Amino acid sequence: MENNHDVLLKVDHLCQYFRLGRKDLKAVDDVSFEIKRGETFGLVGESGCGKTTTGRTIIKLNNITSGNVYFKGQRICAGIRSYKDEISNARRAAAKKIKALRAEKDVDEARKLAISEEIKKINEELGAIVDKNRALIQDARSNSKAVDKQYSESLVEELEAEYAEKISAATGDPEKLKVLNREYKSRIRVAKKSRLITQIQMIFQDPIASLDPRMTVRDIIAEGLVINGVTDKKYINEKVYEILETVGLVREHADRYPHEFSGGQRQRIGIARAVIMRPEMIIADEPISALDVSIQAQVINLLNDLKEQLGLTILFIAHDLSVVKYFSDRIGVMYFGRMVELADSDELFKNPLHPYTRSLLSAIPLPDPVYEKKRVRIHYNPIAEHDYSVNAPSFREITPGHFVYCNDAEEEKYKQMVK
Amino acid sequence: MNNKEVKLSVNNLKISFRTDAGKVQAVRDISFDFYKGETLAIVGESGSGKSVTSKAIMGISAVNAIHEGGEILYDGQDLLRIPEEEMHKLRGDKIAMIFQDPLSSLNPIMRIGKQITEAMLLKNKANRKEGRATFNKMLAILSDTMKKATAEKSDSGYSVEQIEQYIKTFDNFNIQAIKLENSYNAARTAAEEMISAIEDLIFLTEKKQKVDVGAKLAFISRKLKEIDDKYFVSGNAEILSKHVLALDEAKRAERNKFKASDFVKKLVGAGATKKEASAETVELLKAIKATAEKLLDEPKYNFFRIGYYVYKKPETDLSRMPADEANEIAIKFLSEDYMDSFLALEKIAIQYSFNKSFENKKIAVTELRNAIDFFKRGDFTAQEADALCKRVNKSVVEAIDKLAVIKDNVAYTFGGALEREIKKYFFYIKNNAKEEARFASQTAKRDALLAKGKTVDWKIVPKSIIEPEKQIESIVSVLSRVLGRFNADIEAAGSFDADKRCVELIDYLKEKASQVVYTLTPRIAKEKAIKLMEEVGIPEARMRYRQYPFEFSGGMRQRIVIAIALSANPDILICDEPTTALDVTIQAQILELINKLKREHNLSIIFITHDLGVVANMADRIAVMYAGKIVEYGTAEEVFYNPQHPYTWALLSSMPDLDTNEKLDSIPGTPPNMIYPPVGDAFAERNKYAMEIDFEMQPPMYEVSPTHYAATWLLHPNAPKVEIPKIITERIKRMKERGGNHGE
Repeated sequence: MENNHDVLLKVDHLCQYFRLGRKDLKAVDDVSFEIKRGETFGLVGESGCGKTTTGRTIIKLNNITSGNVYFKGQRICAGIRSYKDEISNARRAAAKKIKALRAEKDVDEARKLAISEEIKKINEELGAIVDKNRALIQDARSNSKAVDKQYSESLVEELEAEYAEKISAATGDPEKLKVLNREYKSRIRVAKKSRLITQIQMIFQDPIASLDPRMTVRDIIAEGLVINGVTDKKYINEKVYEILETVGLVREHADRYPHEFSGGQRQRIGIARAVIMRPEMIIADEPISALDVSIQAQVINLLNDLKEQLGLTILFIAHDLSVVKYFSDRIGVMYFGRMVELADSDELFKNPLHPYTRSLLSAIPLPDPVYEKKRVRIHYNPIAEHDYSVNAPSFREITPGHFVYCNDAEEEKYKQMVK
Repeated sequence: MNNKEVKLSVNNLKISFRTDAGKVQAVRDISFDFYKGETLAIVGESGSGKSVTSKAIMGISAVNAIHEGGEILYDGQDLLRIPEEEMHKLRGDKIAMIFQDPLSSLNPIMRIGKQITEAMLLKNKANRKEGRATFNKMLAILSDTMKKATAEKSDSGYSVEQIEQYIKTFDNFNIQAIKLENSYNAARTAAEEMISAIEDLIFLTEKKQKVDVGAKLAFISRKLKEIDDKYFVSGNAEILSKHVLALDEAKRAERNKFKASDFVKKLVGAGATKKEASAETVELLKAIKATAEKLLDEPKYNFFRIGYYVYKKPETDLSRMPADEANEIAIKFLSEDYMDSFLALEKIAIQYSFNKSFENKKIAVTELRNAIDFFKRGDFTAQEADALCKRVNKSVVEAIDKLAVIKDNVAYTFGGALEREIKKYFFYIKNNAKEEARFASQTAKRDALLAKGKTVDWKIVPKSIIEPEKQIESIVSVLSRVLGRFNADIEAAGSFDADKRCVELIDYLKEKASQVVYTLTPRIAKEKAIKLMEEVGIPEARMRYRQYPFEFSGGMRQRIVIAIALSANPDILICDEPTTALDVTIQAQILELINKLKREHNLSIIFITHDLGVVANMADRIAVMYAGKIVEYGTAEEVFYNPQHPYTWALLSSMPDLDTNEKLDSIPGTPPNMIYPPVGDAFAERNKYAMEIDFEMQPPMYEVSPTHYAATWLLHPNAPKVEIPKIITERIKRMKERGGNHGE
C-alpha cells in the first residue's frame, strides 16, 4: 500500500491515550483511514469524540500511543505501546505456563526432564517474541527520526545536482559564480533544516487565541520560513506580500497587529501562515466555527480556491455537517474515539448505515421552517442498539468505499439495507 | 393587530456607545412587539445590534451606553426607566438570559451545584414574598370594588362584614387547596421518576451491563417512600407499604449477594462478579412499576374544591374516596356554601370596575383630545404644559381597569413617557442654539485648516438638534397612542365578557397563591438541579454537581448556564447565541429542551443567532437586523420562503445546505463603521442590487403582507424588478417540492 502514489496520508490503527489518574483515557482508539492526494477528507463527530486529537496526533503535537501514520509512503509517526503490550502479554503467558509446569508434584525423572525441556522451549519462544517486538520498537523510534533526515538529504541531493550543473556552466564568470554560490549556500541551509512534517500544516479553530498578540502579521506569517533557516529579508517580504494577496488581504496589513483585524481577516492570517510553507496537506481544525455567517462563506470559498490553486489536500475537521457535506469528498464519522462510518459524502448522506450516523444526520438544522418543525431526532443509545457480547465488531467494508464499524450480524443487516 | 397578548414591546429604541473615537450608534430606532408564548428570532452578523437590544431589555447595558430614546414596555413598566431595585426583581426571575460566553456568567470559585441552586433558593424566597404582596393587593382591590359596587346597589343584599368574610375565606381555603395540590404533585413526580429509574435498571440488567444495583435500589426506595401522599395513594396504601417492605428486603439481599461475591472474587480471581439485579428483584420492580402506573392513571382530584371542603370540615377525610366521587361531593358543598355567592359578588365587582373605567375612559378621551390640540397649537410655557400633563395623567390613571389581569402597558407608562417628552422639548429649545454655535465654530475651524492646505484627520461631530416641531410631534404621538388604545377599548366594550374575566381573575389569584405556598428546601433544590443537569445532557450529574466550572469543557459549561437560566422558570427567556459553540447533537437536544419548556410554561423566547437552521427550527417570527436597524420582519415561513431584503438573500445564500454544490455567494466587505453611519441604506455598499437612492436615503418599511415588512427600496413601486438570486430560488423550490421531507 505504501507504494500507492494516490494515497498521500495513511493512518493505520492510530491510538492516542491520555493518562487520567490510574486509567487511560482512550481519546482515539484504533482509527484507520487514508487520504488521497488532492481530496478533502471531512472528519465529523460530537465534541470530545477525538477528531481534533486525531488531527493533532498526525501533526505530532501529541506523542502517538500506538499505530502508524504514513505520509507520502514514509512513516512519520509510530507508536510503540502495542509492541510493549505484546511483550508484557507474552511474558505473562509464559510465566503462567512455567508456573503450572513447576507446580506438578510427584513426577519421575523422565517427566522432570521433559518439563525442563518444555520450560526451555517456552523461554526460547518468549525470547523470539521479545526480540521481534524490540526490533519493531527500535525501528519505530529510528524511523520517525530518520524520516526527516532522509527528507532533508533528498532535498540537498536535488539541490546539489541542480547547482552542480549551473556552477559548471558559470565557470569563468567570477561575478556570476559568486552570486550562484551565495544562493546555493542559503538554499542548502534551508534544505538541511527542512523536515518532512512541515509539509503538513494546520489551521486552528480560534483565530484570536492562535495568533501571538505581540507579533506583527509579517512576523507571524514569516515565522515558519525563519525557523526553516531563511535569512534573506527581501525574499521573506516578497513571500509574505504574495501570500497576503493570495488570501485576500493587502500589503499594508503586514505591519499591523492581530487585534486590529476582524474575525474573518484573522482567520485569513492563520491560513496565510499555514500556506506560506507550501504544504501538500492542510489540517483545518474547525476553521469556521468561530466566525460570523457572512464571513464563513468567505473563508470556505477561500479554502476552496486555495485548494484548486495550490493542489492542496485537506483534512477538514468540523461539527457543522452541512458545511462538511459541501466541502468534503469523503467523510469519516467518529464516535467516542472510534471511526464508526466512512464513505463518500454523497453516499454517506444518502445511505447512512451506522445508527450513530443516522442520529447525527437527523440532528442537522436546515434553513427550512416547515421541515424543521416536523424534524424528529433519532436518539442513539449504544447499549440498546448493539449487542457485542457474542461477536466483537470491527471496521468492515459494506459496499465499495463505504466502511462501517459492525459485527457479523450487523454486516448482514447493513448489506440488506443498502440493497 | 392580532389578539395575542403582547408580552413586551420595544418602541423606537435607540442606543449609542460613548467611545474614544466618537459615538457608536449601535441600535438605530427599532420597534417590535413580542407576544406571549412565541419565539422571536433576531438574526444578523455580529455588531448588528442584536445583543445590544437584548442587553437593554435585561437592563445590563454597558456603562458607556446611552439610551437615546424609545421605550421597552413590560408588565406596565418601562424597563429603560425603572430603578435598579425594580429591575433586580425582574431580572433572572421574569426575564432570564443565556449568554453567548458561558465563562462570563459562571463564578470560577463556586461549585456548579451551588451556582445552580443559589438562584433557585433566593428567588423562591423573594417569590413567596412577592406573591404574597400581589395576592393581597389584588384581593384588597377586589374587596374594595365589591364594597363600592354593593354600596351603590343597595338591593344587592351584601353587607361590608359579609364581603370581608368572603375575602378572608377565599384567601384561607385557596392557600389550603394549593398546599394539598403541591403535595399531590410532588408524589406524582416521584412516581414518574421512580418508573423511569426502574425501567432503566431493568433495561441495563437485561442488556447485561454493569450497573450499581445498590445505588439504584436506594434511589427507587427513596422515591417509593416519597409517593406517600394521602390523595395520590388513595385506597392503595396497603399495597404500597407491602412494596416498601419487599423492596427493603430485596435491597438487603442484593447487598449480601454483592458482599458474598466480593469474597468469592478474592478467592477465585477477577471476572467472577458482574453486578446486576437478580431475577426476583426484577420481578418485584415490575410489580412496583405496575402499581405506580396504575396510580398515575387514576383521575385527578380537584383540589380547589377539596381545599374548601377540608377547610370547612377538617375532620372528614375525602382521600379514601375515588376522585370522581370526592370531586362531586366537594363541588356541591363548595357551590352551595360559598362559591355561587362569591362568584356573583365578584361579577358585580368586575362589571362595576369595568363600567367605571369605561366612563372614565370617555372622560379621558376628551381630555386627551384637548391636550393634543393644546400641544399642536404650540406656544406654551413650562408651567402650563406641566399642569396639563398632570391633569391628563390623572384621568388616564383613573381610566385604567384595575381588576384587569393583563396590564395595559401603554396606559400604565403613559405619565412618565409624556413627562419625558415635554422635558425633552424644553431642553432642546435651550440646547439647540448651543449646538448650532458649536457646530459652526467647529466647521469654521476645520475649513480654516483646510484652507491652509493642512490635512485634517478629524471629523466634525454632527449636531444633535431636534426641532421643536418634531418634538411636539413625538409628544402628540405619545398622547395619540393612548387615545387610540382607549378608543379601541371603548369600541370593544360591547364584547365584554364578565364571566370570562371572573375566571381569569380567579386563575390569576390561584397562580399567585401557588407562588406563596411553594417552598423550596436546599434538598429539593439539589434534586431539582440534578434533574435539570440531566435534562440539559450532563452525564453523571450527581458527581458533576460538586465540581468547579474549570473542570467542565466549553459545551458542558454552556449547558450549565442554560440549566441556571431555566431553573428560575422565567417569563421571558433571552437566548444570545446559546448553541453556537455546541455540536449538532447537543444543540438539537438543547433546542428540544427549550421548545419543551416553551410549550409547558407558555414561555416567550427571544432567540438571537446567526445559524439559519436553528432559526428555522425555533422561530415563529424573525427579525433580520443589520447595522442597528431591522431590515426585514415577518413570520418564519415568510422570511424563508419569500425573502425580500437583499441582506436576507445574502445571508441565506452564504450558508451551504445539504444539496448545495455551487460556489457560495459570500457577502463582500465588512459592516459599516457605526461611528459615522451611512446616510442611506447601511447595506448599500455591500449590496449587489444597490440603486443610487440607496446611498442617499434610508428606505422606509414596506409592507409585503400584514405580518411581513422589509426596508428596501426594491419594494418601491418604481423600482426595477430584481430577481431573487438563483441559489435561493432553487433552494426554495427544492424545499417546497419536498414539503418538509428531506433525505427520504
